[in-house]
Amino acid sequence: MEWVRFTFAAIFLIFAAVMESIAVFGVYKFKFVMNRMHAAAIGDTLGLMLGAVGLIILKGLSWFSLKMVIVVVFLWMTSAISSHVIMRMEYSIDEEAVNEETEKMQTGGTQ
Amino acid sequence: MSRKRSDYRSTFYSRIENFVNGKEEFLLYKPSGNTEARQLEALEEELTEAADLLDKREAQQRLQDSTEPLDFLKKFHRLYGIIAAIICLTMMILLMSAVSWLPRFGNPSNPANNEVIKRYIEKGQEETGAVNIVTGLILNYRGFDTMGETHVLFIAASCVMILLLIAEGEEKKSSYAFDRYMEPKNDIIIQKAANFIVPVVFVFGIYVILNGHLSPGGGFSGGAIIGAGMIIHVSAFGFKKTGRFFNEHVYKVGKVSALCFYVCCLSYYFYMGAHGYDNHIPLGTPGNILSSGLILFINMFVGTEVACTMYAFYALFRKGGL
Repeated sequence: MEWVRFTFAAIFLIFAAVMESIAVFGVYKFKFVMNRMHAAAIGDTLGLMLGAVGLIILKGLSWFSLKMVIVVVFLWMTSAISSHVIMRMEYSIDEEAVNEETEKMQTGGTQ
Repeated sequence: MSRKRSDYRSTFYSRIENFVNGKEEFLLYKPSGNTEARQLEALEEELTEAADLLDKREAQQRLQDSTEPLDFLKKFHRLYGIIAAIICLTMMILLMSAVSWLPRFGNPSNPANNEVIKRYIEKGQEETGAVNIVTGLILNYRGFDTMGETHVLFIAASCVMILLLIAEGEEKKSSYAFDRYMEPKNDIIIQKAANFIVPVVFVFGIYVILNGHLSPGGGFSGGAIIGAGMIIHVSAFGFKKTGRFFNEHVYKVGKVSALCFYVCCLSYYFYMGAHGYDNHIPLGTPGNILSSGLILFINMFVGTEVACTMYAFYALFRKGGL
């Protein structure tokens, strides 16, 4: 039983690590702001949830796991919404960047 | 080794590769072949080009007009850099030499390891009634120091008000009207989230303040949490709706009365302690909410003060008024 629990927790934690590394990779790889924000939001939401679920499985059901669930709920509300706000700011302020990107696409994407 | 297909450019995978390299967007709007829209775009481009040209000419003229004070500025900047480097070097040398004179870390005969800490740890709970030794320390043993800190907060907020508060006139109107010029207005997602988060944040802040003598926390941290909750409320709903429960009047009354009550509580302690009288305040059983004398009330006053200061800083820097 212990081993089964440990295996499940390890799988979840490894997936969380993979998601976070994908997020970091995406933030540095993508060129356009909104793509980057999308990559960062992956780490904020999916990676966080997988890590929390892994820890809950590892620890078993207790007050600790309830606290972890509350942490996940709060971070899902706040981090996703902060990404949304930054995105809207970018959309409403930075017209030049958007125009440049569309021009690049129209001309065939020479960097 | 694999080879690329001859029609690789048109496949789905090439689009994904372009997307990863930032060359192509799936989601962005692509202009269609509509002729009217194209003509409009061409007109807009011409207009922006003309505006750019005008801007450049203006900038050139401004440069030509301002050539005379530039020499003086250059000299000043060179001198400024040299003096700054000299000051930094002297400060570095002084501080490094002072550090080399400090006693070694962890030595039991260091001046920091004296009988004061022993007294705090051994008799703190018994004398102040607070389970949290740090709260008992900063609000009871070192109450004078904390009173100074709270006054520093008050003075800082007053200075920011002197510098940034716009009292009346046209300027006030324009700054109030354009305070969220760049921000998303009435964003339904933020408002729904704030509806959920703000009450929870307020309750958590009140909990931290009221449990300051029982668990980690206290007036400063709880007040900061409540102030952050008010900032969330403002950024979601705007100043009009926050003004219903927190405006300039509430700010003045709350801040000044909290400071006055705080000073009264501590003055009583100081007076009785300095004259060697018993202060007649029951300490209660450690661990109860109503225990540890006046620490609970002092925490509440400090929390009010800090929450008001946090919110006032935000509001003053954003629109120049509460």
